[in-house]
Amino acid sequence: MSFSVTEPTNRIKWVAGILVVGYALVTIAPLLWIVATGFKSGPDSIAYPPKVLFEPTLEGYVNLFTDRTRATQDMLDAAGAPRNWYEQIARDQGTVITGASRYGERFLNSVIIGFGSTALCMILGTAAAYAFSRFRVPLKDDLLFFILSTRMMPPIAVAIPIFLMFRNLGLNDTHLGMILLYTAVNLSLSVWLLKGFIDEIPVEYEEAALIDGYTRFQAFYKVVLPQAATGIASTAIFCLIFAWNEYAFAVLLTSGTAQTAPPFIPTIIGTSGKDWPAVAAGATIFLVPVMVFTILLRKHLLRGITFGAVRK
Amino acid sequence: MTDTPIDKIARATPAGMARRIRGFSDRTIAWIFVAPTIFLLLAVNIFPLIWTIRLSFTDFRVNRPNREVEWVGLRNYERILTDPDIWATMQATAHFLIWTIVLQVLIGFALAYLINKNFRGNDLWTTIIVFPMMLSPAVVGNFWTFLYQPQIGLFNYVIAFFTGVDPASFSMIGDVNLAPWAIVIADTWMWTPFVMLICLAGLRSIPDSIYEAAECDRASKWRQFWTITVPMVLPFLMLAVLFRGIENFKMFDLVVQLTGGGPGNTTTLTSIDLKREAFEKWRTGYSSAYAVILFVTVFGLASIYVKALNKVKQR
Amino acid sequence: MSGFINGLLRLRRGPWEMVASVLIALGVLMLMQPFAIGLYSWSFLVTLTGTVLFVIVSHFPE
Repeated sequence: MSFSVTEPTNRIKWVAGILVVGYALVTIAPLLWIVATGFKSGPDSIAYPPKVLFEPTLEGYVNLFTDRTRATQDMLDAAGAPRNWYEQIARDQGTVITGASRYGERFLNSVIIGFGSTALCMILGTAAAYAFSRFRVPLKDDLLFFILSTRMMPPIAVAIPIFLMFRNLGLNDTHLGMILLYTAVNLSLSVWLLKGFIDEIPVEYEEAALIDGYTRFQAFYKVVLPQAATGIASTAIFCLIFAWNEYAFAVLLTSGTAQTAPPFIPTIIGTSGKDWPAVAAGATIFLVPVMVFTILLRKHLLRGITFGAVRK
Repeated sequence: MTDTPIDKIARATPAGMARRIRGFSDRTIAWIFVAPTIFLLLAVNIFPLIWTIRLSFTDFRVNRPNREVEWVGLRNYERILTDPDIWATMQATAHFLIWTIVLQVLIGFALAYLINKNFRGNDLWTTIIVFPMMLSPAVVGNFWTFLYQPQIGLFNYVIAFFTGVDPASFSMIGDVNLAPWAIVIADTWMWTPFVMLICLAGLRSIPDSIYEAAECDRASKWRQFWTITVPMVLPFLMLAVLFRGIENFKMFDLVVQLTGGGPGNTTTLTSIDLKREAFEKWRTGYSSAYAVILFVTVFGLASIYVKALNKVKQR
Repeated sequence: MSGFINGLLRLRRGPWEMVASVLIALGVLMLMQPFAIGLYSWSFLVTLTGTVLFVIVSHFPE
């Protein structure tokens, strides 16, 4: 490597490295704490001083997925011996399992609504982005700004008329309603991001395809789509993360059937007061997929958060 | 660079011919491609917006659908814009807004500056730092209430450990003076990486040659920092500040889970107040006017944001 | 400065967008300042003017 005046010295690198690693450790600590709390027993989770070393248990996870009732000795006798490991864990806390909790359902709702809206959003968004990138659309700049501004609107303010509209159409608390809503919110991001990705694909490729006798549509899905695959995938992950994380619309427009996990997790309570290990377990299961996606996305993060303006 | 056959064909095509082939019914295709998006946005965004504006001139209430709806003209606007309580929520929002932006810009810029020193493993640590901003704000808010618990909470314990205060003696979300800071801290934890990423992009966009030239002119490092680094990163910083400003102006999920607007009204940000008016008191007409005021403000800020976006794009 | 005024007179986009931005920023400041409720009452009108102006002037030539 050649000597450069702009290359920092080794000592500066060390100092910078130590400071950044220090910040990273502080910032990651709350997350690790939540993951750890998910594996603690009830008393351990509220111990003072906070316990860093503890005996791991699956209590939180069992409590998360089951409904239980506090059992008297008679009930325990009547119920007989526990049939499997999770009944055993419930018994150890002096409770018996009465059924499955609603967390599984809520999580599934998050999956259905998240993937449903992402799929729809990608279909509509790719088409629109292609048109904006390649054709002369009348009022293009105004339309693009309008599309972006829909994203900026305060969700609570938008929710008032949408609540009324959904009520009239019977879409309140339905999967379809939430999928349409999240698609509309995410369209702005997907159109802007995808337009950036498609802009980068040389027009010549399509022109060559057109000369070979492809129609516009064929050129679009046989030439442009494969070229934009990485862009489409990362945009899809961004849309999925948004739909996955969304809370304001979910809490106002759903209450049962279509409720997603974010409004549900804070309402988890145990048989006596707040069951922190169960809440932490619920949060962990919910947050880990996002962290995995973040790692996959790391090269495109910047584009995603700036609507494709900063491309590194 | 290798030439794929398609590259060769592309170059061999006369421009005029290409244009003619491309010209086939492009207008139609453009319409087919754009129409569904525009239609969905009209249905889910514009139509409701117009409805809100209409409702904002009435005294409609969702929970009393059979009551005669009356036109009240500008009275809703008048009441909101002279209400000292709503003015107070605006100030709570301002406190939250200003401090989160100040802290996030300072910490975010410092981190970006350090990461830009390219020490070994900086990619890995950057990814770790970025985690909080990708998470669900509502779930984050919820687990910060756990960290903020007096005595058992990790946050209180760490503060007590370093200052010697009794960890049970203060409650970040129960105390009138501390609660506004509790939401600032949680938001800063979550969104500093956002500012950091954008600053990092700004720093990396500065060509080395500028520093090399300054070095030849014997400009001190300190001078280089203020005359090169800061001005070059400034447009990026503006972008980050505007975006965080808009986001925190309409902040709802994180804070509602963290404090629920309490204690008292100390952390009742505008969106939380609006939610109470619209979905707890069901004063639909009144809250529509409230919503329109927020709409216009955000729309205005968004216009400036897009201008800043284009400025950065040209780099 | 004279270039700015010239731009205003000749209805150029740049300087007019600046005027609109300043109005919007002023409106937001008036909305959230803790000093006088009178300013708060008039803030919405200022922001609205700025926003509408921005939409109009962004169609002016560069």
